[in-house]
Amino acid sequence: MKASLYIAISLVIAVFAVMPLISSSSIAYMLGLAFIFVVYCVSWDIVAGYTGQVNLGHTVFIGIGAYTTALLSSGRIGMHLPIWITIPTGGAIALLFGLWIGVICLRLKGYYLALVTAVLPLIFIQLANIFSGIFGGYEGFSVGLSRGFSPDISVRYYIAMLFMLVSIAAMYAIVKSRMGVKFRAVRDDEELAEAVGINIVRYKLIAFCISAFFAGMAGAMTVHYRLTVGVDLFDIPLMLAVILSVITGGIGTFYGAVIGGFAIFIAKNWFFRMLADALPVPVSDDLLLYVLLIVLILKMPEGVVNRLEAFLSSRSQ
Amino acid sequence: MRRVILLLLCCVLILGCTGGGPKAGKEVVKIGVIGPMDTKYGIAMERAAKIAAEEINAQGGINGRQVEVITADTKLNPDTATSEFRRLASQSNVVIGGFSSGVALSMLEVMAETKTLWLGDASSPRLTDKVAQDYEHYKYFFRPLVTNASTFPLDMAEMLDYLNDQGVKIKKVAILRDDALWTDDVMKVLRPLLEKKGYEIVMDKKVQKGTEDFSTLLLEAQDKADVIMPIIAHVKGVALVKQWKDMGIKLPIAGHDLSAIDPDFWNATEGKCIGEIYTADGGGVPTPLNSKMAHFISAYQEKYGKLPEAYSAYGVYDAVYIYKAAVENAAKAGEKNPFDADTLISYLEAFNTQHPFEGVRGKVAFTSNHDLAWGSEFVRNYICQWQDGKQVVLYPADKATGQLITPWAE
Amino acid sequence: MNLVEIVVLGSIIGGIWALVASGFSLVFGVARILNFAHGTYFALGAYFAIVLDRELKYLMPELPSLIFSIIFSILIVGLIGVAIYKTCIKPVRKYEVMVILITLAIALLFEKILLAIFRDTSVSVPFPISGVITVSGIPIPYTRLMALLVAILIIILLERFINATKTGKETIATSQDMEASMLIGIDVEKVYTIVMFLSASLAAVAGILYSQIYAVNPQTALRVLIYAFAIVILGGLGSVRGSIIAAFIIGFMQVTVSIALEARWAEIAAMVAIIAILIVRPRGLMGVE
Repeated sequence: MKASLYIAISLVIAVFAVMPLISSSSIAYMLGLAFIFVVYCVSWDIVAGYTGQVNLGHTVFIGIGAYTTALLSSGRIGMHLPIWITIPTGGAIALLFGLWIGVICLRLKGYYLALVTAVLPLIFIQLANIFSGIFGGYEGFSVGLSRGFSPDISVRYYIAMLFMLVSIAAMYAIVKSRMGVKFRAVRDDEELAEAVGINIVRYKLIAFCISAFFAGMAGAMTVHYRLTVGVDLFDIPLMLAVILSVITGGIGTFYGAVIGGFAIFIAKNWFFRMLADALPVPVSDDLLLYVLLIVLILKMPEGVVNRLEAFLSSRSQ
Repeated sequence: MRRVILLLLCCVLILGCTGGGPKAGKEVVKIGVIGPMDTKYGIAMERAAKIAAEEINAQGGINGRQVEVITADTKLNPDTATSEFRRLASQSNVVIGGFSSGVALSMLEVMAETKTLWLGDASSPRLTDKVAQDYEHYKYFFRPLVTNASTFPLDMAEMLDYLNDQGVKIKKVAILRDDALWTDDVMKVLRPLLEKKGYEIVMDKKVQKGTEDFSTLLLEAQDKADVIMPIIAHVKGVALVKQWKDMGIKLPIAGHDLSAIDPDFWNATEGKCIGEIYTADGGGVPTPLNSKMAHFISAYQEKYGKLPEAYSAYGVYDAVYIYKAAVENAAKAGEKNPFDADTLISYLEAFNTQHPFEGVRGKVAFTSNHDLAWGSEFVRNYICQWQDGKQVVLYPADKATGQLITPWAE
Repeated sequence: MNLVEIVVLGSIIGGIWALVASGFSLVFGVARILNFAHGTYFALGAYFAIVLDRELKYLMPELPSLIFSIIFSILIVGLIGVAIYKTCIKPVRKYEVMVILITLAIALLFEKILLAIFRDTSVSVPFPISGVITVSGIPIPYTRLMALLVAILIIILLERFINATKTGKETIATSQDMEASMLIGIDVEKVYTIVMFLSASLAAVAGILYSQIYAVNPQTALRVLIYAFAIVILGGLGSVRGSIIAAFIIGFMQVTVSIALEARWAEIAAMVAIIAILIVRPRGLMGVE
């Protein structure tokens, strides 16, 4: 079992490694963005799936990481720091916000928690709009080709892939460690967890910090990958896409967020776009995505991957 | 789990192979049109490009090749815009369109990276400044669709002078503008220009895209100013004009309101736009000013049942023909690959003020940084007014089709 | 700063917000559903009225056509509200997060549908009488006066309905204790259905009035939702009377901020209010359990 899983993972990596050689640059570009999107999804799953705190403001971390690195490196506020400094800075600032939102979440539950976290990113969007001289408003701004990882799209693709692999490995190590066990204890039964001596407050906050750090790093990577920053990185559609991905793959399963993230990103940016063009009615890729989300919530709350897996294994027996 | 992974892997492989076609087909010329397809600016671009393509195909295509139009939607969002530009770059020979300077600046980087010829929209001078600063990377950008935002103020100052000549006393100006990059560039020139001419800007408010309540702004303007000057392309003029009329504001609206160019604007505002004065951007005026324009307008009306709904229609129509002319000149000069972006640059640059291209909006000529030459014989903005369901050109005098009316004063 | 301007403009917008927020609050109070699609009913109300009026104009004179369209639109949106509840919200209503996700997805779905049909333009419901009365220098078009009167009238009717009819009393009982209400024989599911219908129709009325004064575009729904949140949290989630008072407070705040700073700051103020109130008092001011 273990060995065959390693083989499968190596195979996946091998296929992705040759993709830029066989496909067009716009497909490679999209796949690179999908790698980063997977990190958004997995980092959300750490808090939502492992500690059970449904944070609808995950895009705050992504956006903060992105705008931090964009502002510090592009010269818009008079600074031209090298990107290997600004990207971790983005992650670090996102981490601080993670700590803060984590503290808020300690006080709130259910609807109230969801409401506060859902509104937070909207405040950032509105601030970006008001101070458009700095943040570029709803048009966003470009950091310029010279501030990308490389002018060559294949190089940027490999950097994004490496980032994803390292991040996933790091987060996997965390959830499989003793700390991950404690996260799940907090999710399953707070009182029991407290009774066996787990410091709930501490572990919730740690989970938020980890989630925010990786999301912030991923947001920052996005900027230097796609060369632009905009309020879409804070916005509700991105949040819904992340949630949809994790639900599709299976929440709290780790691999679910990885597979779901890929599947949904590629579906939205490639398959749905083709489908929208092919259909006789004027629909957009976003519209199809929301229909999918509604259907999934209603029909398969336990995750599509689990269903698919059950289906495939029942066939082979 | 392994099966799921394998399944996904197969999908990715299929994706890689299907997407990996060669750059554009051999026998056709693909023209990529990019714009905000949810708005009339984008729709007009697509429609105009299709008309031009059909006409060209009927006459044998560009250098013997049939023209095909493919479209992409920016959604006014830098992320979608850049990834869609990239898709067009890999599928088409030339990209036409744009809209929204902030978004266009992001697309400019993709253009530089993919070395794609782009006949663009979006009026910020920052786009063409890039051509001047870093020619080698940004030379693929030309802007035949609109004049530079730094020339709009010339038209607007003339508009105020014209109104004063006509007996509408104006000294204090209240500006309502898009909260977007291009209006910053307009203001940079407009403010000193108006001040030099003795006007006073008493109010300068940025309005968010999607704003519908203009009450407090209109009341403030009525308190302070003699004229309301909108500088809006993203904000919807319908709501502004409607409240202006409903509240009986005693000031004229005179400015740069792109939505007023649409012949449907009268119906959309239930006729409340009567008396609104606006600049017809880049000559985008649905009145035949020359025979080419008359031909285009009637072709548009025949195909789509209405006059062009936005300024961008005229520019895109011209742009397709400019591209055709450049390719054919390149072929005539014996270029091996007349469709190559690098080759075409010098042929596009050849359309300068000495040797302009005759388009529907008049003479189209590029400056050294690939901007549109502004002037009365070249492309400029006309001053128009909504009167009784009709769009009337007021200025310049030689193009005028009617006289100023002043319903706000009644 | 002109006090008259704030009072006049603030109470007009406040009246419209009161219609939006009272229905929103009613649904939360009775069914404990936080409906992110509530702003959608607002937009749909205006769009249905516009489309119906455009078609009916060919069949009858302008005034009856307008009146019919408005009434039909309110009923249709009410039924849409019930349909969304039955098909999408009811199956997941035990899971609060799922309710939020599905209603949010519905809101965005309708935004995209409206965008695909009507494109990114502003539209408004026509209003037959034009004219202005001036109150100490502030011109008030008849549209706005009418909107305020209609809003106040409907709010009074709503109060009467809740406090004086049998169904209204059942509604109050259900909001106080769902299980006890079931025990004494109240058909809770019927109450939910009625409340959903009412809340969606109220939002539709608000949307129609709003679009007569200003205009709507496909993105209006989400902006309205923010104000609705701010109002119900200020007035107490589930408290209809509290929401109505808070609606006017938010209306005055909105106009004041628009005059003093800019309209955009009003939205931020509303959002900050939501977060600040919930952090300080996690159940909102005067909220229900």
